[in-house]
Amino acid sequence: MMRRWLLVLVLLATPALGDESLVSGVSQDLIQITSNYTGSDIVVFGDVEEQKNATGRDIVVVVRGPDSVLTVRRRDRVAGVWINHDAASLTGMPAYYYLASSRPLSEIGQAATLARDGIGLASLQPDTVHAHHDVEPFRQAALRLMTSEGLYREVPQGVEFLSETLFRAHVPVPAGVTRGQYDVEVYLIRNGAVVSAQSTPLFIDQTGLERRLYNWAHDQAFGYGLAAVVMALLMGWISSVVFRRPT
Amino acid sequence: MEIYLPIAEMSVHWMVILGMGFGVGFLSGLFGVGGGFLLTPLLVFYGIPSTVAVATTLSHITASSISGALAQWRKRAIDFTMAGVMLGGGFFGTVFGVWLFALMRRAGQMDLVVSLSYVLLLGAVGGLMLNESWVSLRTARSGGPPPVRPVNHVWIHGLPLRLRFRQSRLYISIIPPVLIGFLVGTLSAIMGIGGGFIIVPAMIYLLRMPTNVVIGTSLVQIIGITALTTLLQATSNYSVDILLAAMLIAGGVVGAQFGVRAGGKLRGEQIRFLMALLVLAVCAGLLWGLVVPPSDFYTLQLGT
Repeated sequence: MMRRWLLVLVLLATPALGDESLVSGVSQDLIQITSNYTGSDIVVFGDVEEQKNATGRDIVVVVRGPDSVLTVRRRDRVAGVWINHDAASLTGMPAYYYLASSRPLSEIGQAATLARDGIGLASLQPDTVHAHHDVEPFRQAALRLMTSEGLYREVPQGVEFLSETLFRAHVPVPAGVTRGQYDVEVYLIRNGAVVSAQSTPLFIDQTGLERRLYNWAHDQAFGYGLAAVVMALLMGWISSVVFRRPT
Repeated sequence: MEIYLPIAEMSVHWMVILGMGFGVGFLSGLFGVGGGFLLTPLLVFYGIPSTVAVATTLSHITASSISGALAQWRKRAIDFTMAGVMLGGGFFGTVFGVWLFALMRRAGQMDLVVSLSYVLLLGAVGGLMLNESWVSLRTARSGGPPPVRPVNHVWIHGLPLRLRFRQSRLYISIIPPVLIGFLVGTLSAIMGIGGGFIIVPAMIYLLRMPTNVVIGTSLVQIIGITALTTLLQATSNYSVDILLAAMLIAGGVVGAQFGVRAGGKLRGEQIRFLMALLVLAVCAGLLWGLVVPPSDFYTLQLGT
């Protein structure tokens, strides 16, 4: 996290005259999840300043969710029944990862070079792992499962150029994403190397009734539980009064 | 309209949830059971995390049991001493169950434990019920007298700590009711059931309580257990979703009224026969999920 901010600061602070650099913005810096939230889109846009030429220049947009722990379990057959047998906890993996690029990553540059800047699903590595065995199959499974749940995604050609220098990308924020601070990162890449980068925070939070209920359930768990019980008793009682057959 | 559930942290369609509440409420009114054994698997199947499903279903059972309990109370058909003694055991059972629940969740075996307990319990209860109702259906058709069950429970009367249960006209040891309460409390916390289909047979065949107080007393016991488990799940696992509960109950209490009316048109053994088929169908479905090779050998969980 710190490292990434330093990188951004350095890149922003030293735009030597005549060098290519990047200006970008996000349509929203706060997404509030309300009771009827079914997912939405944010738009990431920007402009390449002092562009040398349009060929060999690429834009990659990465939206990265808060770090979280992914617990992957493998099922094995024991006594005829499939049970969770081995498990691995991968920490420091993003809860959401969406990558849009102007071309397929394989055409933009070498995977190893891009991975150094954290570009590409394949670059996602856990900080620490709690497991007693080879972790790689579990990491692969995590990537695959997160992808199938729509939480990890790479979209080649997800960045569209509106003019020679002006670009735009739509990033979906599906319902059911983890709340917290997201990072919207935009990379300007020339000949496979990052020449400019920008990072903007994006906050996703519950709001309104949902937020209050969530806080209530965690801060005053006993009162919340009691309220759930009383609500059930009241609703049951009211229904028996309403529906009581006239005698 | 989609509604975002704050604890389950997912969006659901309110019609689906109301419909599930209504359907299960209808069946519970028809069969005179809480319906937890149907609702919990149904919610899990819809994608609600099993921890939330187990904890939230309990509120639904509390609500659907209260109107029956009130009706029995008006008829003075509740043995509060017996309910109190069973709840005493039930309290420790739920504490134990919630602890076990948290332990299993950390070990990643929650789904397995829930499914296995369901398969075993539903298989046993469904099998017994099918057999019993089939026999009485056959005898009802042939017009013969119902078979008399030879029951021998001398050992229960030899236990110490005897207490007089006036309403049930019993003078027995408190150990069996406490143990039954403990067992049901544990199952309630793990499986999200009220346990009516265990308590009622246990009261009739084990404790030999008169049938006219069994329904009311078991309902009081169920309300007590589910209320207690809801509280414990809310404080230790934060897994009660009050918005989900409200929608389920709203559908459930209406469904139950229709179920009760439909139930009046069927004979007792017919109802039990249908119920046995339903129980066995749920059991078979869960068993299928356990033994069939999964399409993906890996599962993923966000968080520890």
